[in-house]
Amino acid sequence: MEDLIWLLPTFPLLGFLSLALTSGNLPKKVVGAIGAGSIGLSFLTAAMIAYQFLSSGETHLVVEMWVWMAVGNFTPGFSFYLDGLAVVMMLIITGVGFLIHLYSAGFMLDDPSYSRFFSYMNLFVASMLVLVLADNLLLLYLGWEGVGLCSYLLIGFWYEKPENGYAARKAFITTRVGDTSMAIGLFLLFAELGTLDIQEMLHAAETQWAVGSGLAVAASLLLLGGAVGKSAQLPLQTWLPDAMAGPTPISALIHAATMVTAGVYLIARTHVLFELAPNVQLLVAWIGLITLLMAGFTAMTQHDIKRILAYSTISQIGYMFLGLGVGAWSASVFHLMTHAFFKALLFLAAGTVIHSLHHEHNIFKMGGKRKQLPIAFASFMIGSLALAAFPFTSGYFSKDEILIAALELEGPGMILWLGGVLGAFLTGIYSFRLVFVVFFGESKGHHEEKEVAGFSMATPLIILMVLALFGGWIQIPVDAVFSHGEVHAEEHHISGLMHAIMIAVPLLGIGVSYLFFMSKIFSVEKLMANPLATRLHGFWFSGWGMDALYNFLFVRPFVFLARINKNDLIDAVYALLVNISRFVHVMMARTQNGQLRWYALSVGGGVIILITLGVVL
Amino acid sequence: MILVVLISILFLGGVLAWLSEGLDSRFPRVVALAAVVIDLLVMIALVGADTEGAGWIVQLNAQWIPRFGISFHLAADGLSVLMMLLTAFLGIIAVGSAWDEITERTGFFYFNLLWTLAGVIGVFTALDLFLFFFFWEVMLIPMYFIIAIWGHENKNYAAMKFFIFTQVTGMLMLISILVLAYFHYVQFGWFSFDYFDLLKVNTSSAIEMWIMLGFFVAFSTKLPSFPFHSWLPDAHSQAPTAGSVLLAGVLLKTGAYGLIRFAVPLFPEASMQFAPFAMTLAVISILYCAKVAFAQTDIKRLIAYTSVSHMGFVMLGIYAWNEQALQGAVMTMLAHGLSAAALFMLAGGLQHRIHTRDMESYGRILGESAATILRRLIFLDRCIRYAGSWELRR
Amino acid sequence: MITSFNDLLPLLPLLIVTATSVIAMLMIGIRRSYIATGSITITGLLAATLVAVSMMDWTNQQVTPLLIIDQYSLLFTVVVCASAMVLAVLSFPYFFELDDQREEYFLLLTVATIGAIVMVSSNHFVSTVLGLETLSMSLYGMIAYPLHSAKSAKFPLEASVKYLVLSAAASGFILFGMALIYAQTGTLSFASVTELPAAGLGDGYTIVALLMVVSGMAFKLSLAPFHMWTPDVYEGAPLPATAYLATIGKAAMFVVLLRFMQISDALSFDSMVTVLALIAAASMLAGNLLALLQDNLKRILAYSSIAHMGYLMLALIAGHYVTGTIAVEAITFYLIAYVIMSLGAFGVASVISSSEKEFDSIKEYRGLFWRNPLLAATFIAMLLSLAGIPLTVGFIGKFYIFLSRS
Repeated sequence: MEDLIWLLPTFPLLGFLSLALTSGNLPKKVVGAIGAGSIGLSFLTAAMIAYQFLSSGETHLVVEMWVWMAVGNFTPGFSFYLDGLAVVMMLIITGVGFLIHLYSAGFMLDDPSYSRFFSYMNLFVASMLVLVLADNLLLLYLGWEGVGLCSYLLIGFWYEKPENGYAARKAFITTRVGDTSMAIGLFLLFAELGTLDIQEMLHAAETQWAVGSGLAVAASLLLLGGAVGKSAQLPLQTWLPDAMAGPTPISALIHAATMVTAGVYLIARTHVLFELAPNVQLLVAWIGLITLLMAGFTAMTQHDIKRILAYSTISQIGYMFLGLGVGAWSASVFHLMTHAFFKALLFLAAGTVIHSLHHEHNIFKMGGKRKQLPIAFASFMIGSLALAAFPFTSGYFSKDEILIAALELEGPGMILWLGGVLGAFLTGIYSFRLVFVVFFGESKGHHEEKEVAGFSMATPLIILMVLALFGGWIQIPVDAVFSHGEVHAEEHHISGLMHAIMIAVPLLGIGVSYLFFMSKIFSVEKLMANPLATRLHGFWFSGWGMDALYNFLFVRPFVFLARINKNDLIDAVYALLVNISRFVHVMMARTQNGQLRWYALSVGGGVIILITLGVVL
Repeated sequence: MILVVLISILFLGGVLAWLSEGLDSRFPRVVALAAVVIDLLVMIALVGADTEGAGWIVQLNAQWIPRFGISFHLAADGLSVLMMLLTAFLGIIAVGSAWDEITERTGFFYFNLLWTLAGVIGVFTALDLFLFFFFWEVMLIPMYFIIAIWGHENKNYAAMKFFIFTQVTGMLMLISILVLAYFHYVQFGWFSFDYFDLLKVNTSSAIEMWIMLGFFVAFSTKLPSFPFHSWLPDAHSQAPTAGSVLLAGVLLKTGAYGLIRFAVPLFPEASMQFAPFAMTLAVISILYCAKVAFAQTDIKRLIAYTSVSHMGFVMLGIYAWNEQALQGAVMTMLAHGLSAAALFMLAGGLQHRIHTRDMESYGRILGESAATILRRLIFLDRCIRYAGSWELRR
Repeated sequence: MITSFNDLLPLLPLLIVTATSVIAMLMIGIRRSYIATGSITITGLLAATLVAVSMMDWTNQQVTPLLIIDQYSLLFTVVVCASAMVLAVLSFPYFFELDDQREEYFLLLTVATIGAIVMVSSNHFVSTVLGLETLSMSLYGMIAYPLHSAKSAKFPLEASVKYLVLSAAASGFILFGMALIYAQTGTLSFASVTELPAAGLGDGYTIVALLMVVSGMAFKLSLAPFHMWTPDVYEGAPLPATAYLATIGKAAMFVVLLRFMQISDALSFDSMVTVLALIAAASMLAGNLLALLQDNLKRILAYSSIAHMGYLMLALIAGHYVTGTIAVEAITFYLIAYVIMSLGAFGVASVISSSEKEFDSIKEYRGLFWRNPLLAATFIAMLLSLAGIPLTVGFIGKFYIFLSRS
């Protein structure tokens, strides 16, 4: 059964090929069947493989298919590596992916580029599966670039609007910065350890490099660069909010559930390297913490429904990074999974809302929608509860584990924990601000709307609701992967007070949100009257001014440098050469004046000069 | 013998294409297509030949000008065959892209096209340096005509620039070849231009360096590498689509081929010493031309500058001095050949339809679609090339 | 020394050409017929060419102290006679419609050829001067030939007078130099100047003498800095005369120069090498730079000939350092290639021109390729060849020269 693992990316790839090659000439039903069906098949295969693998009791499994290329001692294979982590990832990708495809089949039905949409989506899933199943970093990188490409294509899916194209480019270029760093990291690893096979490489690193050695620090830093780019963490987080320009299912699949968590996967996969560089690992934690707080504050100020969710995604991935940084590998992966459930749910529900309201994104132009959009309301309630880590929802378990692990860390653990708790507070506020504003209060405009949710759109929402609620009880089989160096929450004893705080804070956040946006006991307007608050709001709203900063620091100098050298300085050098010979020509042509006396002079003078030269020399 | 057949099919096909125009102006393209396809088929027969080891698949060594020890020496190894296949394949593509675009003086156009291809195949197989130089120049003149006659608004300038750059640096290479042959004469007492004879020549390191530089300048102009690249954007933007396809896909590769086949093996020590400079130039090419490409609004100029940038990777690979990098360079050559050709075809198609190469007006005319599609394609192209550049580590 | 009939036999080509000129002159005296005169000239030159070719294998002798008939001189006799014949053929349609006496042109052409044959066979100052002056005098006439024609080449008289005055001055230099050398060596034959008696006036004197001779010859070859007359004369003269001046005039002079330099060993003086190298370099630079933006075909060809003579000069210098015959081979090849290329280029121009209307602006050649592909292809081939593009004769010539230098 495990030998069939190659089928996993093959189904979506075939889907992509058949859709791309027919270039939109198939009827929409067939397109939907191919698009969603291929992922469904993948999911079934994945489920069977997972069952077999888990029941076999093996820790890992390598399926070699063929040698990709053989150049000297460099022979990366086209082979897959299956262990607990890969199982979790492939189930998330195919499972959540399938639900989102199913949803898209209904959601995108009116779009003229229906077929193109599914072809890109299928290609994405295929690449993502290659990414998580790859047994060597080169293959992983292939998937990594593949998902980047699909992300670019799908953000710019509605290319008629220039700003969508801009968002796509921004996402692509920003992640590219990280990719480059990662590529250099790969070069370094290969040059130093002589292999790109992940397990071999990790083993070699463990035996050859001392803890904290320069090479380990450099390699893990470079890989971290790739991870922060893909996972939209500080300092490369600015692309994700703009990436919301794509269709909503894209945001659910790529920019919430799967691709953006590739960075988390990468770090988890190569965690041995990070353990060899404790400072870098701590840096991961700090990056996570700062990102989650910044994104949390920003999310409170946004009024575009999708941007709120985007910032919350950044913030939640910040938690995962925090978990990675404190060594809670499995907790991070756990949070990755629960986050995939509830964030996919939230995005899909947001899609329903937007779809019903004729592409209205501003939450303040919505309101009182819980009657008209019951499924969306239920989804949002459950999703937001999970997001805010309401006790016993899925998000609660995973976030709890991360925070406990942070608290257990010696040294900065307390600060990290406090930050995380503050983040949870913010999460409570912004998630329920969204719920309250959109679904409660008085209804504004858009009276005609009825929930557009056929079978294909409702089913995924319901399944995801269940997962978001109860996903916390799933036991992920990753213990064998992170067998050493893992901080196991169970082994430690956290005081009841801490537990209470962790449960109470999100509730507090929800409460604050209630006071502001539901009961209106506190007024946002009054708060805004304070000039300091206005400025703070503006600052947070702009994403802490990061876009402006980057614009000033990088974009403008770059464009300026490009503009001044548009005509290629080197060309001017050759032009100068041409002009010099032209000038000499003009000068010499003047001697050809047609006057006999001048010619005679030149003959006589020439002889005199030559003779002088001849005698003198 | 098969190599002579390969080259003569193209030469004769060119003449035939020209003559057939008298019958009907649509005949030349058919003749040209037939010639290139037959060539490709013959080449496939070569692939079947024994490619194991470092051996030469086909050898042909005949006297040509015995007075100077010049022989008609053709041979092919794996690299040559690979490059020839690329040439023939892109030859078909070029004929295809000219099929409807070239409507005037078709006979002479296909004559030039086929003669360029013949020259390129000659370059990839010649093992006599004089013969090599001959083919090197043979591919130049028809290309000059292609740009100068069927080019766009500024064709004469571009064609002349192309011609002068290649000609001047070609002259430097000729001088190097002659000096090398002279040293062979001094050492062995007889003239020879044969590759294998010249491999045995020993010279002092200073002289070796100068001779090597002659080759290097010629090849890196063709490649092209910074700072000899400035003919390329003009040539590309003015050439007809088929011309651009050949230029980017094939002609640039001859520069890289020359470095791999001649500049490095003939002068190992000088090349070794020079490698850091060459790599520096390569890196400057990559970065500088990428930067300039970013600023372009003319789509063909943009692609041309990216070509320079990518050929910088090739040079980097050649001078990185290890096997993986060399393989990577060859890989990049192939990948770039295909992708750049494809890009120029797209650009040519756009220009044919919209009558402008200015990307900023594409958006206005076609909506964002064209520009986005293009960006995507450029991106796809990068992906393909990335596979190649992968092996350039260390 | 008694000259027998057998001694005169090697002079057969020269005698045939001379006879041709006599017959042509008599013909004109009896009855003016353009066609007949032309045919006689062409036939005579053809006969001389064929005879010279057939003699090449077995003739090698000094005929009187003045002329040497060896393979080298015969080779160039062939080149001269054949070129003259080609030019006669080209001249025929060109002057066909001239509204003046047309027949004497062929007479001048034949006489000039006599001078050229004498020059290529000369290893004696007397025969050099005789040949040179015969050639030059005829050329003055040829250049000014369409003088009375209303619609003719632009300034034949001006060109002729310029050439006459300057050329006479140059001849003066040559003669003066010869006199100085004679004063030292005591013979008018070409002889080595390096083994002069030490009691003489020393090297400086010899160098002055040599440079006088070389300067005069350099003028005829239009080497810098004596090149300035070239474009004006080329432009003013009728096309066939220009072609004659550019091909036979140059080739014959260069053969003399080569022989003189080799026999006299003049290049063993370092300063001679320096000066000649300077001349060569200046000629190449001046020729190419002046041609740069020129749009008159005849002037372009004039500048190109300046540059080509520079290349030849380079080979001449190299010949002194290279053992073996490769340098002479190179010069010979290059010279012949140059003659062929120039004949071709001028030939095409003269085919589409006539004495009534000359095509000499390059703009007038635009589109020729599509009107007359064969002619245009020839023209392109010739020009490419002049530019030294590979596998043209010009390229092989350059190749030779580079090889002889390295």
